Amino acid sequence: MNMIDLRRLPGGTTLRHLDRRWRGAYDVDEWGLDPELVALTDPAVSLRWDIDVEGAGRLPATGGAVLVFNRRFGFSEPWVVARGIRRASGRFVRTVGVVDVAPVGPGLRRFGAVVDRPDEIAGLLRAGQLVGLPMSRRLRDRDQVGELQVDRIEAALVTEVPVVPVAVLGRELGRHWRVVVGRPIRPNRRGGPLAAAELTEEVRQAVQALVDDASVPGLWL
Amino acid sequence: MRVLITGMGGELGTRVANLLEADPEVSEILGIDGYPPRRRIDRADFHMIEPTDRRRIVSVVRDFDPEVLLHLAAYEPHAHFGATPARLNTQASAVSTLGAATTCRSLRRIVVRSGIEVYGRRRGASMRPDETAPIDPTNGWGRSLSHVEHLAYETGGLAGVPVVALRFAPIVGPSFPSPLGRYLRLPIVAVSPLAELPFSLIHQEDAAVAAVAAAKGSSSGPLNVVGPGAITASQAVRRGRRIPMPVFGPGWRFAAVSSEVLGAPLPSHTRELLVRGAGADGSRAHEVLGIDPRSTSDVVDQLYRWSDVQEVRPPVRAGRR
Repeated sequence: MNMIDLRRLPGGTTLRHLDRRWRGAYDVDEWGLDPELVALTDPAVSLRWDIDVEGAGRLPATGGAVLVFNRRFGFSEPWVVARGIRRASGRFVRTVGVVDVAPVGPGLRRFGAVVDRPDEIAGLLRAGQLVGLPMSRRLRDRDQVGELQVDRIEAALVTEVPVVPVAVLGRELGRHWRVVVGRPIRPNRRGGPLAAAELTEEVRQAVQALVDDASVPGLWL
Repeated sequence: MRVLITGMGGELGTRVANLLEADPEVSEILGIDGYPPRRRIDRADFHMIEPTDRRRIVSVVRDFDPEVLLHLAAYEPHAHFGATPARLNTQASAVSTLGAATTCRSLRRIVVRSGIEVYGRRRGASMRPDETAPIDPTNGWGRSLSHVEHLAYETGGLAGVPVVALRFAPIVGPSFPSPLGRYLRLPIVAVSPLAELPFSLIHQEDAAVAAVAAAKGSSSGPLNVVGPGAITASQAVRRGRRIPMPVFGPGWRFAAVSSEVLGAPLPSHTRELLVRGAGADGSRAHEVLGIDPRSTSDVVDQLYRWSDVQEVRPPVRAGRR
């Protein structure tokens, strides 16, 4: 039985992927994203996280956008946002904040992570990518979102792309997670020193409002 | 238009000369290099001068009085020369040619060969810098190129003419002498599959077309000339049906010695490329120069499709016995 016959058997798609990988006939983008590897590992990832996405229609179908999302411990949230948005919209999310140390850095880059630099974020936005920007960790109070640094949102102003607030709800040890996409916020075109600070505050409040609306009341109520 | 091409003996310089020869707007072409052109040239004059022979270079440049100076004499380590001669020749050629050009009255434009190596690949560096990113080279080749750029801008300032620095991705092609090309074509190639980042390339022909477009255009400042897309070293090796050999840390030292023994030295800038990757945003050059370079994966495929021996039959002339 030759390779062509094998491809017609169950699991033939995976075999085709593996054959392509063996021959090096797959794509990697300039930042290291390997879409085929993401597809290959997706069944395993789905065993860990079961994700519901609400409001995916609010995401721009094309062009760059910054997705600002909350996180508590910050282990699951980047994966949850990236997988949830990809399955709901078909677009990859480039999550900011990878450490540039091998083998962790190159490994995470294959799944869409990028380094935390304003020029890197601006380059991604100019190339029409969705950039996932996590807020700071909030370990104690799970109902309060963290802070967002002003300089990290400046790339959205420079490239004039929308900023989309995203609420992520779930427990680190749990499997079920919810991703709620809010209405995109258009940056103020006038710019100026206060524009980034005002946009940061507006986005933070929008994420907080999404978290407040989406949170399930405690069992004691 | 009178065009002076330094580095005309190299593959890039010769091809640029051929393209300019076919252009009726170009009245005179003069080339300088330490070794003869790699292809036939029809109407360009060529002076074989060592890059370190400053007196002769200055004399030839001043006598020719070019309108456009295409300074392509940047010698990549281990392409023709070893690391030290390549650095010294690059430096000497830039000082002599650009220094002499400051007194050329007809000079209207300077175009220099540079590379995306000038951005450097420090930890946390951007994977796709645009032309506004700061210069911060992390290897000797990048430092040589940034020095050439610095001299070119200094010359441009003194002569009051625009300067274009073409920051090429590593130039690779079937007949282009490059340490990266030689290394990737070894039968067994050392790679770091768990630590490698992707890199972008530019095909030799696209590089020549970009140089000609820059010489004839009106833009100024740096331009990244990069093939779209990227590829990792492991991927490139598998595309070429070579055997990838995973190495880590000190294993690279052994790999460098082995590849040198096999005729493909592995200089530090190539090793950095294979592990730390390299790329740049080439959209400005695409707009300004109107170029549409081949994708990086196509460049790699063409590198491996190169046949070892090409039989060229002489044309049969009618009536000859």
